[in-house]
Amino acid sequence: MNEISVCRQTVTVELENGLHLVPCSRIAQEASRFDCEVQVCKDDLIVDAKTILELMTLNAEFGSTLVLEARGDDANQAIRRLVRLFETRFEDEAIGDG
Amino acid sequence: MLVKTGIAVSQGVTTGPAMVLGTEDFRIPRQVVRTDAVEMELNRFRTALEAVCEEIASNEQLASQQMGREIAAIFAAHLQMARDEKLINEIETQIRERCHSPEFAASRVLRRYARKIENLGNSFLAERAVDVYELEKSILRHLLGEGREELADLTAPVIVLAHNLSVGETAGLNTEFVLGFATEVGAHTSHTAILAGALEIPAVVGIGRFLSDVSGGESVIIDGNHGEVIIDPDEATVEQYRDSQAKIRSVAARLESLRPLRAETKDVKRISIMGNIEFPEEVDHCTQRGADGIGLYRTEFLVLRGRSEPTEEEHFDAYCRVLDAFPDRPVFIRTLDLGADKIPDGLEPVLERTQNPMLGLRSIRLSLRNLPTFKTQLRALLRAASHGDLHIMFPLISSLMELRHAKLILADVMEDLDETGIPFRRDVPIGMMVEVPSAVVLAEQFAKEVDFFSVGTNDLIQYTLACDRSDPAVANLYRSGDPSILRMLQMIVAAAEIHDRPVTICGQMSSDPKFVPLLIGMGLRRLSAIPYAIPEIKEVVRSITIPQAEQIAEHAMTLDLARDVEAYLREELVRISPDLIL
Repeated sequence: MNEISVCRQTVTVELENGLHLVPCSRIAQEASRFDCEVQVCKDDLIVDAKTILELMTLNAEFGSTLVLEARGDDANQAIRRLVRLFETRFEDEAIGDG
Repeated sequence: MLVKTGIAVSQGVTTGPAMVLGTEDFRIPRQVVRTDAVEMELNRFRTALEAVCEEIASNEQLASQQMGREIAAIFAAHLQMARDEKLINEIETQIRERCHSPEFAASRVLRRYARKIENLGNSFLAERAVDVYELEKSILRHLLGEGREELADLTAPVIVLAHNLSVGETAGLNTEFVLGFATEVGAHTSHTAILAGALEIPAVVGIGRFLSDVSGGESVIIDGNHGEVIIDPDEATVEQYRDSQAKIRSVAARLESLRPLRAETKDVKRISIMGNIEFPEEVDHCTQRGADGIGLYRTEFLVLRGRSEPTEEEHFDAYCRVLDAFPDRPVFIRTLDLGADKIPDGLEPVLERTQNPMLGLRSIRLSLRNLPTFKTQLRALLRAASHGDLHIMFPLISSLMELRHAKLILADVMEDLDETGIPFRRDVPIGMMVEVPSAVVLAEQFAKEVDFFSVGTNDLIQYTLACDRSDPAVANLYRSGDPSILRMLQMIVAAAEIHDRPVTICGQMSSDPKFVPLLIGMGLRRLSAIPYAIPEIKEVVRSITIPQAEQIAEHAMTLDLARDVEAYLREELVRISPDLIL
């Protein structure tokens, strides 16, 4: 049996308005580039990171702590990419060059 | 018979059959489909969704070229939503497994998400539910067919009744068949209202909810003089309107006789009365009324009317058309004044959401951020300037730096034209709109750096009195006769005099006959007005002397309240030309 690669990391929302429309769109856009499954968890809520509408229902405000979790071959890269989005406060335009 | 009252924004009375344009909510024709039609319905949904995605993608591209990255990002998010696999899957499952119609399925699924977002208890996110509703509407529109395309296929006269008409929709109205329109929302000075005046069809806006009482096809009277819409009028009302239309026609005929006469005061002082236009075709409205030129050509309607950004040649042709109509008279062309309430179609829902659009990225600021578009226009203007007496003016200048920046770009464009050997006029007069209080305060400095001033009273009043002219809650604070506005005008005229610069006044204030004696008395000699107002203004000009006008201005300046100023000017107008008060 192949072992499924799982990768997990905690991030903090440092956006003044929280994860609103545009940041959610960026997360979904980046997550969708990968084959692995990606989830975002806030407290006991778990949503699909590839779905902008679900991400919005997370209601992640400024200062929220989120856990990003990916399962699949490219889980590692996916998490790295998403963490970088949070670290740059979604301002890094270089992300997404593939 | 049902009488509804709104705001009269374009004069005249007209009667015709009602045509109701789709209200905000789409009616979903059926909830379920036959089992054997499911595959076909799924395909119909996919085709509609693809069309929605294409539409958003093209808006995104337009936004990134014209509005900057932040706004393009909103469209990118909309696109992300429309392509959301989970969402598509949920809708398709409902169609496939429950035989729901695509309209019903899409509406249900999207509304569930929207409500969830609204109920999170986060007011910032709750506002974003609008984006979800918008996607719903957009999908429904594509599934049900573009209701508003009916407007393009008219073959018989109608009166258009709608919740709202966008600037683009109004600009596109075919006046051969659209006799007049009435809308539930809108305010006196919104650009849709200004456009109705330009199209010269009667219009009433801001009526409030009334569309649910009309199904279409009923006989309707639009009274653009009194702001009334009468649905299913009775015999007596129809008769009464027939009489009043006859009276209006007789006054109009008398004013028409003024056309060949010069606009000069009784003591033979020449006053130039020019026209404000939005479209090149309107030059005919101006020449027919004996205008002395075009005092304000609002070029942004070239952009608002078209499907794509106009090319240099399209700009050039439009400008030449206007210049040709006035071979020996001045034509003042204002560079693009987009943003705030004048947003190209498709970007409307997004830019309206800017916190403070009137203080935001609009007008010259938008042009200076969007140099390719600005330079295209300037090239066309400089080239057209060799065909007539063209003047270029920059809108919404608020600092000397901004003016210098705009002039620098113009110099750049001249250099480019020089290098390629394209003929143009180098010494074209350059002016600015004075419509921001800072420009009034610094008018003397500005006067040194421009060839002329043009006072845009609509914006100047709005910025001076800090009141949004399109917000019904404060629109009553918007007063042309406010003493502060009179003093602003005085400052501008004085500063221009020191440097011997001509001043034109345009905007709604100079289209209102009662202000004409005041403006002339304050020293203004160039007025620019809505074309239909030109004969009335000429009549006032021909009925007064300069000393009389100066006396009126002097007295008006002693009054404390806008109310008193306006009442006084009205009284004076009754004395000068009693017929003009309707």
